[in-house]
Amino acid sequence: MHTDARTLDNGSTIDGDLCIVGAGAAGISIALEWVGSPRKVVLLEGGGFAFEQVMQNLYRAANVGLSYYPLDAARLHYFGGTTGHWAGFCSTLDPLDFEKRPWVPNSGWPIARADLDRFYARAQHLLDLGPYEYEAAQWMRRDPALVPLPVDSRAVWTKMWQFSPPTRFGTKYRRSIVDAANVHLYTHANVCELIPNESIAAVEAVRVRTLEGGEHQVRARQYVLACGTVQNARLLLASNSRASAGLGNTHDLVGRYFMEHLEMPTGQLVLTGARVPSMTMYAIEFGKTKARGELALSADMQRRHEVLNATVSLTPGALGSEGMSTFQAFPPDSVAGFRAPRRADAAATPEPNDTPRAAAEPTRPRLFDLLTRQEQAPNPDSRVTLGSERDALGMPRVRLDWRLTALDRRSFRGFYEALGRELGRAGLGRVRMHDWVLATESPWPASLGGGWHHMGTARMHTDPTRGVVDASCRVHGLANLYVAGAAVYPTAGCANPTLTLVALSLRLSDHLKQTLS
Amino acid sequence: MSATGAVSTVVLACGGGDSASDRDSLARPELLVALGAAAVRDLGRRYREAVPGERDAASLQAAILSSRPWATRMGLRRASVAEQVRGDFVEQRTIVVGGWLLSTTEARQCALYSVLHG
Repeated sequence: MHTDARTLDNGSTIDGDLCIVGAGAAGISIALEWVGSPRKVVLLEGGGFAFEQVMQNLYRAANVGLSYYPLDAARLHYFGGTTGHWAGFCSTLDPLDFEKRPWVPNSGWPIARADLDRFYARAQHLLDLGPYEYEAAQWMRRDPALVPLPVDSRAVWTKMWQFSPPTRFGTKYRRSIVDAANVHLYTHANVCELIPNESIAAVEAVRVRTLEGGEHQVRARQYVLACGTVQNARLLLASNSRASAGLGNTHDLVGRYFMEHLEMPTGQLVLTGARVPSMTMYAIEFGKTKARGELALSADMQRRHEVLNATVSLTPGALGSEGMSTFQAFPPDSVAGFRAPRRADAAATPEPNDTPRAAAEPTRPRLFDLLTRQEQAPNPDSRVTLGSERDALGMPRVRLDWRLTALDRRSFRGFYEALGRELGRAGLGRVRMHDWVLATESPWPASLGGGWHHMGTARMHTDPTRGVVDASCRVHGLANLYVAGAAVYPTAGCANPTLTLVALSLRLSDHLKQTLS
Repeated sequence: MSATGAVSTVVLACGGGDSASDRDSLARPELLVALGAAAVRDLGRRYREAVPGERDAASLQAAILSSRPWATRMGLRRASVAEQVRGDFVEQRTIVVGGWLLSTTEARQCALYSVLHG
């Protein structure tokens, strides 16, 4: 069922069993799990079904730290959320990403990769991906052209990515949500405050406002915040009528540990062997490629060199090319192009091996530009806070203070030295590093960029003094408030976040079903 | 045999490397095929600027030969330059020249090339 909140009588109260705040990848993934159940689900979306600049303006924020992409362009504020312009890159986090790593302060998840495997498998379907297979050997069996470089896997391995069409949740799942009798979708319903009970031990209601001046309340037994890493933190911090520091913020953790994936041009690779190997495994053709590999350091090498997790993608290039970062390559006014409808939106789940790439074998290039995708070390000083300016709904606007550490910087060089030595040892090629990679003490270069991946403002930890949510994603100290999405990531890994956040959302949904049963 | 193949089979035999042809063979790094002569000359010039004691052909040739594996130097085993280069990567005898992470042997090869074909 769908209701435009602008049509409600002012002061309406809506009751339900489960209230989901935000209809992006996380919120819709959870809502779909409840379709047909006896529970009443209230799904609140601030925007409508299409892009509206006035809604985007609510996301405008001040970037007061390192140079960062405008937040009102980085996220989409309508049904489907940022899946409306995502590129569809999917991979799993690695087992090491979940472990406590002594050289990475504040690392470690309270769950292991094995705890997520069955949810990853389910998430594959929602994202129109192939089978839950992320081993290079599995893909080589499907397509013999996908041959990984013959490196020593104890040092370097080929990490696989799969590509969603990309699935636009707002297009693909609109009908399923709107037609569901027990799922009540309200659009143009912006949540401005979570109202706790008197003892601040549970949420009693959420306050909803419309740009037209309407104000309503939603009351439910359980609440899920699913409006993105930045907005989740904003909403928790702004819910300060009874808890002056905001909800879930007893230990001043909400908004801290904001993380990105550093996606930056880093250097070049030249293949030196007499026979140039096929690099089809590492190639991508947007909209066609089902899977490809990127080069990564093994867990042992990360431990030995005490570096962060990273992968590198290979794109045929020219000698001396410096390349552009993701932020440089896609200025904010170009982002609209990503929202254009694609035929793939309506496509059925693709067969993973229906278009082997063996036939397309052009002359083999020797030189490749290297784009690194590196996790950011958890940093309490990299944070989202509230500014003094307010938006059209009266909500304080966000101040993003994005900060990096020395570990972030030196990991680039450590990664490329280890990679370069292995490729040299194997007789495959040589690696060239850009000047900024070598100059580890210098300021970050103009090519500093990220993947528009916002993570970590409500990190998961069993200890309430070290995390905002517990292992089930419940906000510490609040009996019925949960956070869905990448905000809960204690560390970022190097994989794009969507697959993992959908998997975590499905896991949360299962937990909520048990809780409400 | 391709040019690169010829490079990779240069053998650093016991007591070898003294003749002009040996020297010319040593001055053909694998990178020549991959990057081209101009880039290799540039790398070679950069190496010679960075390492003052290895600026002429004789010192570069001596440095390459003296860093052969022990068994090769003793005449117990023959080793190709390519093997020596790979051994450099295993043993972390590497150097960054012009941003490239090179084996010290191949960096010297580039320098020798820049001297002989500058």
